[in-house]
Amino acid sequence: MKLTRRKLATAVLIPAATALAQTAQTPPALPRNPDEEMKAARDRVKAMGDALAQQAVPMATEPAFQFKA
Amino acid sequence: MAAIGAEVFFATIPELNARLTSKEIPAEDLARAFANRLEQLGPRFNCLALPLPQQAIRRAKDVDKEIKRGRLRGPLQGIPYGVKDLISYAGQPTTWGAKPYAGQVFDYSATVIEKLDAVGAVLTGKLAMVELAGGGGYRFASASLTGPGLNPWDRTRWSGGSSSGSAAAVAAGLVPFSLGSETSGSIVTPASYCGVTALRPTYGLVSRRGAMALSWTLDKLGPFAHTAEDCGLVLQVIAGKDGKDPGSAGKSFYYTPQYARPLKELKVGFAPVDFADRAEAPARAAFAAALGVLKDTGVQLVETKLPPFPYGPVLSAILAAEQASIFEQFITSGKVDELADQGQIAGLKASLELPAKDYLKAQRVRRLIQDAFSRLFAEVDVLVAPGRSGAATKLDQRLDVGGPPAPAGAAPGFQGIIPAGNLAGLPALVLPCGFAENLPVALQIVGVPFAENTLLAIGREFQARTDWHKRRPPGM
Repeated sequence: MKLTRRKLATAVLIPAATALAQTAQTPPALPRNPDEEMKAARDRVKAMGDALAQQAVPMATEPAFQFKA
Repeated sequence: MAAIGAEVFFATIPELNARLTSKEIPAEDLARAFANRLEQLGPRFNCLALPLPQQAIRRAKDVDKEIKRGRLRGPLQGIPYGVKDLISYAGQPTTWGAKPYAGQVFDYSATVIEKLDAVGAVLTGKLAMVELAGGGGYRFASASLTGPGLNPWDRTRWSGGSSSGSAAAVAAGLVPFSLGSETSGSIVTPASYCGVTALRPTYGLVSRRGAMALSWTLDKLGPFAHTAEDCGLVLQVIAGKDGKDPGSAGKSFYYTPQYARPLKELKVGFAPVDFADRAEAPARAAFAAALGVLKDTGVQLVETKLPPFPYGPVLSAILAAEQASIFEQFITSGKVDELADQGQIAGLKASLELPAKDYLKAQRVRRLIQDAFSRLFAEVDVLVAPGRSGAATKLDQRLDVGGPPAPAGAAPGFQGIIPAGNLAGLPALVLPCGFAENLPVALQIVGVPFAENTLLAIGREFQARTDWHKRRPPGM
């Protein structure tokens, strides 16, 4: 869809003007010791794997790194 | 010594080149002035890792002899510059921003330094960075051997990472240009926060030989400068085939704005929500105005969507696996515990446990991402989005949590454009585009691989119509 200046202003400015007030995000508590720190880091690694597992990939798709013989 | 006014410290490369080749300012005087300024003011922003005044003055004297003999080597001859401290310079410390590597010295210089030296550019110092470029996932801006990078626009704000010093030094007029690196966001973020122009080149266009490896398949080196044209002039020198970098694309780059496609032929994809609900409220007016200026350049703005992929987890898995292999001995030896940031320490340790199947899956999804972007770029020539959704974060702000959430139901927009662009190896140009709460904000223009001249042509025209890139931080 090609945009005119009028459409651009409508697309960008009106949603901003009517947006709900943003609320501050409460950050998760800081780990209290190295064990908690490691658990949080391991949880992040596991979450990566879980997210990747959700993604379907055709069997024929090869990894995106190169090997040149 | 020639009189050097304050305006010289914010001059563009062609402006400095004109003064050097006309012999109005000797290269030695220029090198002394910039080296002194970097040494005096660099610590004020925690942006200096290593001053190199003697080497700079020695090199500049050679340049003066060359200019006197009429041997001109191009626009960078005699121009001072700095490099991120993950780029090796023979015989001098290269700390990678990390205490455990504080004494590290290489006996060779990185290819980019050799190339800049060959055209007469003058290295005046090495610039601060987030420790190990932050691959482990750092929680606070203080994750650096030199302390938190302080933003020249407001020292209570972060200068961004991981190329903190490279951006801050250009913003404060301490070097006319600098080199930094990006694995995912390390050029785009500090350039946006500090209000400088910067270019993340296509993966493989610039040799990384002599630069710290964080992720072999993601790392890129690129310039920070005052203008898009300056970035083009620097890229022309540092780009090119290097048989010593296995990731080298074997391509050169010639900065040829005169041959760029007319802007009216270009389709620029964007998502309105990025400039509205997904932008932080104080930055929206600047982003909307910048989009208007872009439209005035003659390009066709077209609403677009990013292909839906889990960009963050894909990039994080690749980065974690590759850094785990690169830093395995550092991690298992316990040296990792000497790093400054607890989040980074734990992240590096945990990266050793990433299953091989996850790394391979991520690299396979990456192939799909690359294909999807090829299809997207059949419909548009470039993409535009905010560099970051708002201005620089406060120094004590946690970096492991996101900014303010978008309103419920907001479209995804180009969320993930930074990991997406890095996964697909795409170039990006960062253009300062206004202010929010007296702090700079920026656009990023992302293109197809090796389309740097298109990005720079848009950047040149945008900067011909605006003066955001000419603004100076208070007191500078």
